[in-house]
Amino acid sequence: MLKANGLTKKYGAFTALNALDLEIGEGDIFCLLGANGAGKSTTINLFLNFIEPTNGNATINDMDVSKHPLETKQILSYIPENLMLYPNLTGLENLDFFCGLGGKNYSKDELDTLLQQSGLQTHFINKRVQNYSKGMRQKVGIALARAREAKVLLLDEPTSGLDPKASNEFSELLLEMKDKGVTTLMATHDLFRAKDTGTHIGIMKEGVLVEKFESKDVSFQDLEKLYLKHMHN
Amino acid sequence: MKTSIRIAKKEIKIALREKLVLTLSCIILVLLGISLYTGVIAYQQQQKTITNAQEEKREEWLGQGDKHPHIAAHFGTFIFKPKTVLSLFDFGLDTYTGTSVYLEAHYQHQFMFRPAQDHSSMIRFGELSSALVLQILMPLLIIFLAYASFTKEKERGTLRLLSSQGVTLTSIAWGKILAYFIILLVILVPFALGLLLLSYWLKTPDTVADLGIRIVLLGSTYMAYIFIFVVLSVLVSLKSSISRNALLTLLTCWILFTIIIPKTIANLGESLYPLPSMKIYKEAILKDKADGLDGKTPRAERMTKLEKELLTKHKVDSVQQLPFNYEGVRMQAGEEYGDKVYDVHWGRLLNIFNKQNKLGSYVSVVNPYIALRNISMGLSATDLNASIDFQKKVENYRRIFIKKMNDDMAENSEYGKFYEYSVGLDMWKSVEDFTYKTPSIYTTLKKYALELASLFCWTIALILFLNYITRKTKPTNG
Repeated sequence: MLKANGLTKKYGAFTALNALDLEIGEGDIFCLLGANGAGKSTTINLFLNFIEPTNGNATINDMDVSKHPLETKQILSYIPENLMLYPNLTGLENLDFFCGLGGKNYSKDELDTLLQQSGLQTHFINKRVQNYSKGMRQKVGIALARAREAKVLLLDEPTSGLDPKASNEFSELLLEMKDKGVTTLMATHDLFRAKDTGTHIGIMKEGVLVEKFESKDVSFQDLEKLYLKHMHN
Repeated sequence: MKTSIRIAKKEIKIALREKLVLTLSCIILVLLGISLYTGVIAYQQQQKTITNAQEEKREEWLGQGDKHPHIAAHFGTFIFKPKTVLSLFDFGLDTYTGTSVYLEAHYQHQFMFRPAQDHSSMIRFGELSSALVLQILMPLLIIFLAYASFTKEKERGTLRLLSSQGVTLTSIAWGKILAYFIILLVILVPFALGLLLLSYWLKTPDTVADLGIRIVLLGSTYMAYIFIFVVLSVLVSLKSSISRNALLTLLTCWILFTIIIPKTIANLGESLYPLPSMKIYKEAILKDKADGLDGKTPRAERMTKLEKELLTKHKVDSVQQLPFNYEGVRMQAGEEYGDKVYDVHWGRLLNIFNKQNKLGSYVSVVNPYIALRNISMGLSATDLNASIDFQKKVENYRRIFIKKMNDDMAENSEYGKFYEYSVGLDMWKSVEDFTYKTPSIYTTLKKYALELASLFCWTIALILFLNYITRKTKPTNG
């Protein structure tokens, strides 16, 4: 579903991402681990076509994202570390607006249900987003992904800063979407969440994918050791 | 298009919830209302004064009693410049060009009663006309409305979310432009309707030629101007990294466009093409009348030559034997020579005015404010060209009026019996009242071709540039 072929991004002499080869199958949750500046967000941005690759290419559903930016975005949903919505609109209005942009039109009741299913408390649905916590905004993001019936989720540290309960709820929603065949690429610092939620894990360091394995093949302790080994080297 | 409309709806909803936009819009609407109200008051007062004075002067002219036509030519009359209905909207140079002129034989008097003379220095700097509000304050509202159109999205992170939905920056930009345009229309439509109703209610004399076309063109050029500022503001916001930079850039543009460039060009025009002082101008005319345009044929010589020519032509020995009153012919000849001298000096003055104006026209290519200001005054018939046209028509009227008096004297009176001859009411009635109609819209548009081309090119260039930039820009690197 998601493929990176020799994907490279350079900023002058600095290489942010170096020849990344990656393949993520349908329904997989691939968690990218790494320190700040390891190239996780660069990878996400390249798949979103927010930046142009220096070399190589990124494909979604066999479509090169650079050549088919609109088509690929039709099937993906993106949730950044801090999902920002329009503060002067309510959660429901934000969801309605973003759904409409993707050509999905829902009734007020359907939007209401989507937000509730994504864990947003009922009495907040019609309140302006300026009163929302970060976790509540992330839930609107999940509702948006559901509403858009996204086949691909690109998540850039989506649980960073969330309290454990909200983080857990978020993971449950991801697993629920996985069961529906949604493919996820998630950049995260959270080893526990990666092990708990991900089907595959990759460790990045200085723009290079140094490890790649299935999550079931390692215990949490092994994962931690492996991660720290790479970070210390 | 659907996407842009959806974005526009969202922008309008947010704008309505943001109090700053509402407050600014209300301020502009109030200012437009005040300017329109003061325009109507000024128009009504001046129109009333003009009508009363004109009637009074006509009565004086008709009731002057029996007298010699040349004395009547010096008794003279006053002509009043009619206010055009469009001066409600754009006062233009009306405040500075004077409202009445005294007509008499031999002299071309200057216009008197310039309203600016009666005002304080603050008013002289620029009266609050609706045109001024739309030309100078409306761009400020647009800047405050749109400076953060993209920077706020970038700062909040919503631009990335928008782009991740498969929405192009081009669609986002046009959605925002559409929204701002609709918000501005909400302000402008009631104002335009008010203006139209007022012009109908005031039922003014038909002074302005092609009024309907002028109104449509005024509306279109102002729309183009507003569009230019909206697109420019959105473009600057798109290319700025933070809102503060966008606001500073746009305010700098506004100051350059509306204050610095126009003042600099006006000063430069005066320095490059200086106008003679009124004293020097009048003295030069008097000198040329006395010494001749070539400086070698004084008045007495010209009159002797005329006398000789007439005596030869009519084969007589003295002016008394001529079949007409030589005094009348001599006076008319002197009048015509004076007109010739006046035309030469007035032509030189016009040439300087034209050079100064052309400089402004050239600069309008890089400054849409100057382009619109000139077009607006032109279409409202309150510009220098309208004033010059009025002065030319008044001068023609004066010449016909004086010629009528001189011709009557030549044809009907006897040489040497000046005070014995007089005419009365029938003669005074035969001098028709002065009526004025502005130049046609075609003539006006020809004068402002460069300014119109400038607004058109700015509009097209900004559309093309916006489409190009939005295609080339990534949402992450505004």
